[in-house]
Amino acid sequence: MLSISRRVGERILIGDGIVVEVLEVSGGGVRLGITAPAAQRIYREELWERVKAENEAAAQGDFKAPKGRPDRG
Amino acid sequence: MPEIVNSSRFGSIEVSDDAVIDFPAGLIGVGGSRFALIGRDEGDAFLWLQETELPELALPVTDPFPFFPDYEVLLADAEAERTGITDPADVGVLVVVRADADDPAAIGANLLAPILVAGGVGHQVMNEAGWAPLREPLFAGGRRPAVA
Repeated sequence: MLSISRRVGERILIGDGIVVEVLEVSGGGVRLGITAPAAQRIYREELWERVKAENEAAAQGDFKAPKGRPDRG
Repeated sequence: MPEIVNSSRFGSIEVSDDAVIDFPAGLIGVGGSRFALIGRDEGDAFLWLQETELPELALPVTDPFPFFPDYEVLLADAEAERTGITDPADVGVLVVVRADADDPAAIGANLLAPILVAGGVGHQVMNEAGWAPLREPLFAGGRRPAVA
């Protein structure tokens, strides 16, 4: 893994189209600003992992659709 | 013209053009690029998104609003720009559903990452709305609906 030290206000360029800026550092947290092409998907890793796991479980699961219509709401 | 799609779950199935949805970025973490929506014509509450070139890849989905009338999808600006969606009225919403591994009758819907479909193009997005659980039970107490 590439490791780069940056100060608040400094940036990193990834390729020609992605800019990551350190906006704020406080406590153990860092606030980043990311500028990227519209087609680029950007996720918090833990959210992405949870959705990935849920999609995989749905694709692999033995889902049997219940009969009848929704009874909620 | 209808096309034939091979599915590990359903065998060889015929799907019409308007049931096919392009997913430029696939589904989160599982990929795919072109899915057929299966079961729509039967009026079932539950449909399947079957990848047209990957027989093994199919996910059950449903329209969330009959179950959760107050459900809202809120997109971050970057996500809205990525999907190219400008008018919410043009958008169809689906959510992935799955049965609990230990209790097949308990079905949960993924309200955190809904699938938005507009103009034959689909995107699975991160919902920024305040209420957007990853797995919300579809039926109160895990019950099935009364058999129609």
